Amino acid sequence: MQTIKYFRFSPLLKLLLAFLVIAGFTACEEDKTQNLEARNWSLTWSDEFDGAAGQGIDATKWTYDIGTGDNGWGNQELQYYTDEAENVSLDGDGNLVITARREAFGGSPFTSARIKTQDLFEQTYGRFEARMKTPYGPGMWPAFWLLGANIDEVNWPQCGEIDVMELRGQQPDKIAGSVHGPGYSGGNAITSDFTLENSRFDQEYHLFAIEWGEDYINYFVDDFLFNRITPEDVTGEWVFDQPFFMILNLAVGGNYVGFPTSQTPFPQTIVVDYIRVYQEQN
Amino acid sequence: MTKLLNNFSKFILAVLLIFSTSCERDLDDLEPATFPTSADVFIDGFVGGLNYAAFGGSDVTAFDTDTEIKYAGTTSMRFSVPDFEDPAGAYAGGAFFLDSGRDLTGYNVLTFWARASQPANIDIVGIGNDLGDNEYIASLSGLAVNTNWKKYYIPIPDPSKLTQERGMFFYSEGPENGRGYTFWIDNVTFENLGTVVPVSSGIFNGEDRILTVETGNVFNADGFAVFNLPSGVDQRMSVAPSYFNFSSSNPAVASVDLNGRVTVLSEGEAVITASLGDEASIGSLTLTSSGQANLPTTAAPTPEIPADDVISIYSNAYTNVPVDFYNGFWENSTTQSEDIQVAGDDVIRYSQLNFVGIQFTAPVINATAMNRVHLDIWTPDPTGAPATFKILLFDVGPDRSFGTSDDSEHEVTITSPTLQTGSWVSIDLPLTDFPGLTARNNLAQVVLSGDLANVYMDNLYLYDDGNGGGGGNDDEPAMAAPTPTRNGTDVISLFSDAYDDVPVDTWRTDWSVASFTDINVAGNATKRYSDLSFVGIETVMNQVDITGMTHFNLDVWSPNATLFKVKLVDFGANGVFDENGGDDVEHEVIFTSPATNQWINYEIPLSDFTGLTTRGNIAQYVLSAEPVGAATIFVDNLYFYNDDGGSGGGDEPTVAAPTPVNPAANVISLFSDAYTDVTVDTYRTDWSVGDLEEVMVAGNATKKYTNLSFVGIETVANTIDATAMTHFRVDIWSADATTFKIKLVDFGANGVFDENGGDDVEHEITFTAPATREWISYDLPLSDFTGLTTRANMAQYILVAEPTGSATIYMDNMYFRN
Repeated sequence: MQTIKYFRFSPLLKLLLAFLVIAGFTACEEDKTQNLEARNWSLTWSDEFDGAAGQGIDATKWTYDIGTGDNGWGNQELQYYTDEAENVSLDGDGNLVITARREAFGGSPFTSARIKTQDLFEQTYGRFEARMKTPYGPGMWPAFWLLGANIDEVNWPQCGEIDVMELRGQQPDKIAGSVHGPGYSGGNAITSDFTLENSRFDQEYHLFAIEWGEDYINYFVDDFLFNRITPEDVTGEWVFDQPFFMILNLAVGGNYVGFPTSQTPFPQTIVVDYIRVYQEQN
Repeated sequence: MTKLLNNFSKFILAVLLIFSTSCERDLDDLEPATFPTSADVFIDGFVGGLNYAAFGGSDVTAFDTDTEIKYAGTTSMRFSVPDFEDPAGAYAGGAFFLDSGRDLTGYNVLTFWARASQPANIDIVGIGNDLGDNEYIASLSGLAVNTNWKKYYIPIPDPSKLTQERGMFFYSEGPENGRGYTFWIDNVTFENLGTVVPVSSGIFNGEDRILTVETGNVFNADGFAVFNLPSGVDQRMSVAPSYFNFSSSNPAVASVDLNGRVTVLSEGEAVITASLGDEASIGSLTLTSSGQANLPTTAAPTPEIPADDVISIYSNAYTNVPVDFYNGFWENSTTQSEDIQVAGDDVIRYSQLNFVGIQFTAPVINATAMNRVHLDIWTPDPTGAPATFKILLFDVGPDRSFGTSDDSEHEVTITSPTLQTGSWVSIDLPLTDFPGLTARNNLAQVVLSGDLANVYMDNLYLYDDGNGGGGGNDDEPAMAAPTPTRNGTDVISLFSDAYDDVPVDTWRTDWSVASFTDINVAGNATKRYSDLSFVGIETVMNQVDITGMTHFNLDVWSPNATLFKVKLVDFGANGVFDENGGDDVEHEVIFTSPATNQWINYEIPLSDFTGLTTRGNIAQYVLSAEPVGAATIFVDNLYFYNDDGGSGGGDEPTVAAPTPVNPAANVISLFSDAYTDVTVDTYRTDWSVGDLEEVMVAGNATKKYTNLSFVGIETVANTIDATAMTHFRVDIWSADATTFKIKLVDFGANGVFDENGGDDVEHEITFTAPATREWISYDLPLSDFTGLTTRANMAQYILVAEPTGSATIYMDNMYFRN
């Protein structure tokens, strides 16, 4: 399971972002309004993460990835993923908390956690959203993302990858949304980013979402559309027409984010209020 | 020492507020602001009203503007850090401050760009230094810079506090590895950044400190805060206590003011906590107060050194020189000080003493004519080992500048037994004890430190003891007294580094006529008495039972004593001093013409203290010397010991022979203190086999014969007519004699020794296995000397003992009686 991730700036989006930033500086009262197609979403899956503090994840919804994968999960990540409560558990206040710790374990200098819905929940198209607070600090790499359910048959990147959000801890005010597929994976992924105006994603909850249809993937932060990827944007086969499953993880280090430094504060957490999946009602 | 580089005209306030309508702001929030809210400090030049002042001791030329190297615009600020020992100044440092304050509540961080000519860590940069109260200082330490321009952030710990701040920016930086370099700072401005976020804050270094304190103690909180920067890294900063909101769980026990100054008010417990903004800070101070302080009840001894010989720093007895301060409140010093009175005498009370600086630079003290330093201290704290109290003398050198190569200093550490708990201790040191103090004509500081948290100090002065002036001192021992070697189990020590000392009430009673100081001689604690007539040392509170002891030991050194006396006083069974004598007994032993300028080891048999007939309650020790009122003595190793220990009994009598009671009229004495002796030719004829030594046994003159086979005593020149006498008496003490014989010889009517006998007659009486180690009074009827048929010309008295040639006997009270 390789999940090479990379960042690329499309000139179009750059323009768009420039506009947004300017709008942000000048806006006084209300958020900017976007004219989006009206859709009628119906909830198909959710985890509200209600439960007692220290409780583990719902085994009917999630499974764990354990260990260091192959070559740091394909990214030279530095952490060892565990299923220990100190790395992944509910906080008792309605949140799931994934915690990255600076502690030697299994030959790795850090521990953290990665959970997925593979073989438990997979869906084609719809809205996938997570409301959460991110970690921060150099080397922290949280991500909420989807992989094609046929990954074991066709391998990556043929299976396709949709990154709803990922963040570099040394830029805690910026996230990226991307797709990887055959001919546009890793360093050639199709991506765009979004920067908060004078705030950071660790300071309060933000809602990260994609809306995925037959020929488009729209990326949202707090229901603000910041990226749209269509078959015309990708430089290879459009593989996003089959069931995908979700992954939530907090990596430490790796070739997307770079190494943590001595100044990186630990422990660091992703705090997830909920993850919900919808299907469009006709 | 400030140098004003810029003094721009005052900002025009009128412009400000009309257009500063931020969109988040409701009309209700608008108040009649009296201070501008502008952000910029330095972009391409100074904003109006901004001044620069260099810090004292820094290179005042370190700061200038630079149009060549800049981050943006036309001009940057350039800071030239000097080399180590640059005559222009030891470091670069200064503050940028406004004439009139700014309202910074709308910002959360001061940002700037910086680069340097080499990688370096700038010692400190911060805000809030207004060269006044500096109430809201917040600063970064060790800021890492390199040759690339980089943006830096100084978060404002709680912006709501800065409604009228004047301290815009300050910095201080010394050489890196001794060498200067240059750094530049540009685009200094206040911003409100959502990407600079508070993480945590703390007081007392984030520790939960627990202290046992007493009323009057004062503690100053320190503070820190951690902010996460836009790069995701945490940055810790020092935060002035004024930013925090403090609270005391029990304000009646300990109060805390807006500046984090905690004052203990009464007995009880209180916990000091704080918050920064709305967030609780970590760290606390839990105080358990025992209430009123344990204070000295008597004043320190009044100095007796003539004022002409004294340079006084703190004393009511003298006029003090100008002193900058008695507590410099130096960085990292926790010491608090208070001027109090004890029995009408001014005393400085230092509490929470870790170190404290006393400084006198206007002018410095020229102490070249002085040869000693003195101070009196009193502490309620435990003083047993390893507790220390340290005195450092600092000479600032001819340049009168601190931190330069002509400075010199030395610290002396004082420990138990010199240190005492609950009594005034006079620390009186020759300046020769400060060898590191290579000069003393620019003395500028005394620094006190050590383990004693509570120290009351008085009579800090330098003086010349009149013996040797400023040069070397010939009038005190250069070497310590010999270290005792006796087994500690055989010793009861009052004062010695070699033994555990019993409690001593005082080393100078108030009825003494002497000056007393505790000093170190070659690192060895020693008692010094000067201007001495007599001094009383007392163990009244814990009287000493010396019935198991045989000797009193002390080591004495004097430059001038012509007579030395030691008196021991026993308070008797009732254990109290009896005005009219009661059961008190005492005895004084006198040493005439003791050697001077050398340690004399006195090992005085207790039997010499004949008047000291009881020894279970020894309470006073009186040392006297002549010339009266002018003698100086140094005393060490004052202890009792038992010489019988280990050898199974002493080999010499510890008590004198019994004093004869026969009326003098009925006695013809050859040797006795009790009578007037007749003329005796010799107590050891040259034909004797054995040695004679004149000794004192318990103060009583005694003849000691050693290596004895026999000894002849003669009254040939004046023979004795003992015809009217009935008995011959002699007192003998021996540890080893197995046989003892007495022979009396009468030279007969011709009065001369006859080689062939002639008319000489004699008789010898033998005593086998006489008792040993006790005085035996042989009181022999002359009728027992049957061969002594005449006794009108008694001329020889021969004492014989076995083992032959090795016996030792002590002899006293030899006489005829009737």
